[in-house]
Amino acid sequence: MRFLRLYKTFIIQHIKKLMEYRIDFLTGAMSFFINQVTNIVFIGIIFSQIPNLDGYLFYEIIFIYGFSLVPKGIDHLLTDNLWKVAWFIVRKGDFDKYLTRPISPLVHCIIESIQFDALGELLTGIILIVIASVKLSIKFTFVNVVLMIIAMIFGAVIFTAIKIIGAAIAFWIKQSGSILQIFYGISDFARYPATIYNSVIRNVVTYIIPFAFTAYYPASYILRGNNPLFCIGGVIVAAMVLLGISLIVWHKGLNAYESAGS
Amino acid sequence: MKKISDFINLYKPFTKAGIQSAMAYRTSFLCFALGQSIYCFVMYFIWKAVFMSSGESTFMEFTMADMTVYVFLSNLVGFLTNSDSTDNLADEIHDGSIIMRMIKPVNVDYSILTFEVGNKVMIITCIFLPVMIGVEIYRYAVLGYVAFSIVNFLIFVVSVVLSYLLSFYLNLIFGYLAFFLLNIWGFSILKGSIISFFSGALIPLAFFPGIVRTIFEQLPFASIIYVPTMIYMGKYSALELVFVLSKQLFWLVVFVVISRMIWGWAQKRLAVQGG
Repeated sequence: MRFLRLYKTFIIQHIKKLMEYRIDFLTGAMSFFINQVTNIVFIGIIFSQIPNLDGYLFYEIIFIYGFSLVPKGIDHLLTDNLWKVAWFIVRKGDFDKYLTRPISPLVHCIIESIQFDALGELLTGIILIVIASVKLSIKFTFVNVVLMIIAMIFGAVIFTAIKIIGAAIAFWIKQSGSILQIFYGISDFARYPATIYNSVIRNVVTYIIPFAFTAYYPASYILRGNNPLFCIGGVIVAAMVLLGISLIVWHKGLNAYESAGS
Repeated sequence: MKKISDFINLYKPFTKAGIQSAMAYRTSFLCFALGQSIYCFVMYFIWKAVFMSSGESTFMEFTMADMTVYVFLSNLVGFLTNSDSTDNLADEIHDGSIIMRMIKPVNVDYSILTFEVGNKVMIITCIFLPVMIGVEIYRYAVLGYVAFSIVNFLIFVVSVVLSYLLSFYLNLIFGYLAFFLLNIWGFSILKGSIISFFSGALIPLAFFPGIVRTIFEQLPFASIIYVPTMIYMGKYSALELVFVLSKQLFWLVVFVVISRMIWGWAQKRLAVQGG
């Protein structure tokens, strides 16, 4: 209860800030929209010349693409502050303030901001999924939908865990934004079927930095009924293992943290 | 002659400072390059799958080797022509330190430009040359002959210089927006996505249908990434080359004039608080 009350206060503060920078919010949302259009036009152009991509139809690719936006969007909405930790909060010595508060520094960092631009991502993702599902006439059962939602939530946890690890590296080297950027960049691979990559990349995005579980595998279960134990169970396992590792790294980092600045 | 050597003497310290700053931030800079190359590989595999699925050797007149060169080269050109002047200028305008540039006996845009050139020296040696050599080795392995043409390369260099200047002045104009707006973060991001769509960074403009393609090719953004990349690949005839290079020059002049006009006007109403 205390946590929810706190969270409400934080969100209200954040909305005030948002109102102050309305134009920023609008232009940010607009640019996000252009990016999505670019990617979909790209997929459209490819499919104007070929009937399928590695056996996947246009709307199946759109479905996977839309699916990939949802976990990414959930994570973006809730934990965007971790980027700031990686880029400058630690470097400028501003992290000290989190250490003096009576809540866990990690929780405080995360709930401090809520990134409403991400709603654009979520909305686009959901719209694409719906359009693709209608065109492909996918049969949604109760079990399907529940598993899909579970996969999306745990997919978001995969993103968050990777961001926690990336941000925690800043405790040792002061600024880890660019390293986090690389980790995060690997999520680009998840937007397309993992089968199009060579075995090295496929194994990396499946077992090491498991972004393939944030979109391709769960989507392939919905689309093709591929092994649910691997496709959905894998998301949960990957998310929990990664979250565990990220918490260990974060706490080790906190112990190693020495304030910068003056 | 004397004028040129005066110019070099005046701005050499800026370039030197640019190189030093690039050295200081080399880790984050190399990580950024690495992140970008991941993206190139995603594109490479998508195109590979496209060619496998179509079963044909060309996609809209591009071979797989062409596509690979395009993906990597367009990213390199993006690196070479990218300019941080929007954000740097906006920061200086907000905290008032722009005044430090104005009281020096130098031209504001040249001083930012020559600083960035220092940065580019680092990009050319650490990123551009190694990747370009890699691309050429790939091309040789796939095609079985040396496809690299020194003439194309020299024209490419001219074109990249023009597109960098073009992108620099475009960014400068966006930076000057900070005189009128409180916060230009959103605009800066918006500018990034517009450029990446219309410049052909993701999709070669040649793939767009008829009229759309013609329109896109006339816009200044095409001159930033698409034109130099296509020149490198030798996709233009001699006549087309003259045309695309003059188009680059035309847009450059337009942007220089606009930026000078805004600057002249903003200077009069600039008020710096505190000090």
